[in-house]
Amino acid sequence: MFKYLNHLVVSKFVMAVTGIIILLFVTGHAIGNLQIFIGKEALNAYAAFLQGLGEILWIIRIVLIIALLLHIITSIYLKLYNNGARPDKYVVTSYVKAKLNSRTMIWTGIMIAAFLGYHILHFTVGSIQPENYNQEEIYTKNAYSVGMGMNAHIANPEEHRGSVLNKVVYERHDVYKMVILGFRNPYVSGLYILGMILLGFHLSHALQSFFQTLGMAGPRFSPFIRTFSNWYGTITAIVFLIVPLAILLGFIGGNV
Amino acid sequence: MKLQLNIWRQENKDSKGAIKNYKLNEVDEDMSFLEMMDILNEDLIHKGEEPVVFEHDCREGICGTCGMVVDGRPHGKEHGTTVCQLHMRKFNDGDKITIEPFRAKGFPIIRDLAVDRSAYDRIMQAGGFISQNIGSAQDANALPISKNVADLAMDAASCIGCGACAAACPNGSAMLFVSAKASQLNLLPQGQPEKAARARAMVRQMESEGFGGCSNYYECEASCPKNVSVNFIAKLNRDYLCATFKEGT
Ligand code: HEM
Ligand code: FES
Repeated sequence: MFKYLNHLVVSKFVMAVTGIIILLFVTGHAIGNLQIFIGKEALNAYAAFLQGLGEILWIIRIVLIIALLLHIITSIYLKLYNNGARPDKYVVTSYVKAKLNSRTMIWTGIMIAAFLGYHILHFTVGSIQPENYNQEEIYTKNAYSVGMGMNAHIANPEEHRGSVLNKVVYERHDVYKMVILGFRNPYVSGLYILGMILLGFHLSHALQSFFQTLGMAGPRFSPFIRTFSNWYGTITAIVFLIVPLAILLGFIGGNV
Repeated sequence: MKLQLNIWRQENKDSKGAIKNYKLNEVDEDMSFLEMMDILNEDLIHKGEEPVVFEHDCREGICGTCGMVVDGRPHGKEHGTTVCQLHMRKFNDGDKITIEPFRAKGFPIIRDLAVDRSAYDRIMQAGGFISQNIGSAQDANALPISKNVADLAMDAASCIGCGACAAACPNGSAMLFVSAKASQLNLLPQGQPEKAARARAMVRQMESEGFGGCSNYYECEASCPKNVSVNFIAKLNRDYLCATFKEGT
């Protein structure tokens, strides 16, 4: 299965395809997070919706895990191989076009991987701040049951005019509270902010690199996509890190 | 002007090299960089020391024989010139200049600043040609080629095979050279029949010569004396991947 590693161009192809899968997920994740600014209801409903995907959620997870593993294995292999192709270093080094972000891909990558481990234990598994994780929200929906103790949902309360109507009570994971409490800790927030800056840095090289690797380049397209890629990395980082920043500064979550 | 030169001296491929310092007191700003090296070597010969070995031929930027790393840049800091086209007026009195050989696993050092670049010849032998039955040449206009394509192929063909790309690349990758040499044929009708085979054979040969892979640093483009664009690397990737999808690895 790993025979492709013997071929440099195919290895880069694997880097590009796995990378872009993760990039698309990361982008969706960043946008989804913004619902915290709408409020508790929106964020918790969104989280419950994702949890409710069931098998689809697991398919997404498996695709992402495989993509990430292939991305990491290939990147380490390529890095070692490429270092071996330049065994003697120059006494004086000087770079013109190889910017810091491209030269540090493996290091930003490894730090992102470490961050990812922390993040999953923190918010997905819940083992880092279990007291914040184990929060349930009791909430009601626009669904009613008729009479005392009956739990049958009815679609149209108008038809039951005159009977005793109870709002049905539900319970769901209080993601909003978990995030707010988690990010009030400045060390935790700081770690996330740092992680997101590294991610933005990685992406600023990664996106344009994807197009170059797959053979999409041209005298007008290439300069455009390189600038776009820098902006993409910067904006992704900002969209992610305004959440911990806003919580730390007390702009949101005052009601928790 | 006066210069201090820090030059990499190395007996042969297997010995350990080191930087040695030299002083030159009368360098004319109208000299070329290689003339400055000639003056140094004459000095050394007078003193009974071994002259610095470096390669050169045309001294006008067309043959691709010269090549050394000046202050960390292959062919020096100027853009779009070979080191034989570099002039001492680009330097200042009292400058310290560090001169090293091209460094890449695919370019073993022969001596001092001379490296063995025969790997590039073997890459050409692997696919840098078209196969054609000999006969009388057909009319030039029997094979229509648009101006855009002809220009692009000409840009690729401007590569002089000097090795600066692999020397500049942090991965010691020769992809700019390989892509230019593959594209100058793959862009044109004459190159089509062997396009897939060419892309693969040349990249494979590059791999077996010990060059690294491309990480899209674009450092090669910055050092290329002929300003060959990294867009040709994208094209080579495309040709290679198409070949892989069609025919398997
Ligand atoms: C959120 C996570 C990540 C995303 C979205 C991402 C995305 C990408 C993308 C799109 C590329 C460009 C592929 C190409 O060159 O064509 C890339 C390259 C790269 N990634 Fe990642 N990556 C992530 C995590 C990682 C991790 C965890 C590592 C390593 C441990 C890593 C190491 C690298 C390296 C070394 C390259 C450059 C490969 C080369 O040019 O030779 N990345 N990444
Ligand atoms: S000597 Fe011919 S290019 Fe420099």
